Amino acid sequence: MAAKAAVGSAVNRILDLLEASPDGLSQESLNQSLGSTDQAGAAQALNMLLSRRQVQIFKQGNTIVYKRPPKDESGKFKGLTPDDMLVYQVIQQASNMGIWTKDMKRTTNLQQPQVAKAIKNLEARNLIKAVKSIANKNKKVYMLAELKPSKELTGGAWYTDQQFDSEFINVMKQQCVQFVMKQGLASVETIADAVRKSGITKEELRVKDYKQLMDMLVLDGEVEETVSTGVGPFSAFPPDTVLYRSAQSQLSETSAFTNIPCGVCPVLHECTEDGLISPKTCVYYQDWLKF
Amino acid sequence: MKFLEYTPLARINAYLSTVNLGDSLLKGHLEAYSCKGAGLDKKHFRELEQEVIDSLVSSPSNLSISPVGPLSSSTSRKTFIYLVLAMNQVYPDYDFRLLHPSSFEKEDFESVKLNVDNYLLETAKVWACEFGEDSSLCNVIWEAIDEVIVIEDCDVYCYKPESENDDFTDRGTIWSFSYFFYNRKLKRILCFCCQCLSKLAIDDDSLEDICSEEETEYYFEGMDMD
Repeated sequence: MAAKAAVGSAVNRILDLLEASPDGLSQESLNQSLGSTDQAGAAQALNMLLSRRQVQIFKQGNTIVYKRPPKDESGKFKGLTPDDMLVYQVIQQASNMGIWTKDMKRTTNLQQPQVAKAIKNLEARNLIKAVKSIANKNKKVYMLAELKPSKELTGGAWYTDQQFDSEFINVMKQQCVQFVMKQGLASVETIADAVRKSGITKEELRVKDYKQLMDMLVLDGEVEETVSTGVGPFSAFPPDTVLYRSAQSQLSETSAFTNIPCGVCPVLHECTEDGLISPKTCVYYQDWLKF
Repeated sequence: MKFLEYTPLARINAYLSTVNLGDSLLKGHLEAYSCKGAGLDKKHFRELEQEVIDSLVSSPSNLSISPVGPLSSSTSRKTFIYLVLAMNQVYPDYDFRLLHPSSFEKEDFESVKLNVDNYLLETAKVWACEFGEDSSLCNVIWEAIDEVIVIEDCDVYCYKPESENDDFTDRGTIWSFSYFFYNRKLKRILCFCCQCLSKLAIDDDSLEDICSEEETEYYFEGMDMD
């Protein structure tokens, strides 16, 4: 039929034009380049090519742009139903956060059996994979097979296999403390470099992670935080860098204040000479003076 | 697990799927499944069983005593796996294969009946309004369950959600229960799970999930809106 021939030639013409412009052609340019004879079949041709996935359609601002997909992509999606593609696109949009099946159903408006089938197809082709989120271990979350799950899902550096790895953290803390004691004075970056070089772990930890470790150690009382002035003992570090040194002021277990009853008295502020609570009637002193 | 169709259950299931309780919404499931696995099910079953055995090997003392019985026995393992598979059926958006046997607890039927009747008090009133005072929702439910699964031959298990990060204990859920009636002889498991959601906590997005369009109007009935 004449119409079919028109569509056929339009298909070929469009494919040639798009091959020639790897960055894509806008609707306008495509129409201009197509001769008037081919324009008739153009709309049908484009629809056919889109459904065969030999052409991709994008929106740039207000214009529609057509592009040839990269060579391997057409093969990737061959034989997938529109439902499968819809689910794939939704998963693609979620990028490395992944998407929960319930949200998938909501966005695609597909029913449970359809979504389940699409997921099965996509998984069979290794296009998507299931991931576990530490936020809710039981939810079924999927993402593109080639992506690495984000830190929010895996829990970041301190989680191994969805479990909080306190052993690992303790080992890392030890390393940091030892380095600080050896150096006397160190900044987060120098600590990070040294511990990385020691090769104690293959895990990639960023400076942010080391800062977390150092904050823990400060609160534990094992190291002290200080700021560099750029001069004197701090000359190795630029001014205003946060530095760490081993804890120098250790609080002693007992002191003069804690030895006498008044130092630890719970009602100290109510104690007056002639009041209900007074040194004369103090029960704590009675006990204390009994030796 | 194959879904088993029983008319009395289907009727109750349809009713319980959304019940408007005024300022809250009940969502329930009453479904029966056959444990006689075939094909894909058998594969899942074996995988799960292997996982349980592996974890048993790594920490034997932890898992030897569990609510479903000692995990070293294959019957207890079977029970646990059937429970997990049933959970997966009732809640298809979740995968409960990571569950620990301690998430389930064996219950005595009388206390379960008491509990359920208590929870469903409000719902029973709504049912009575619709179907007349003579019909008691709880009686209908227990009769139907007995017909399908013969309660006296059953072991009843309750799913205890973890205290945090679980949709069952999410904000907005006023109460929930998940009971599983397992009849070993009949190789059948019946799931009776209900959740009561507060309407105030449901925002527009999740409203679409919970109700279809006609139900949305029904949803607002009974709420004071001025």
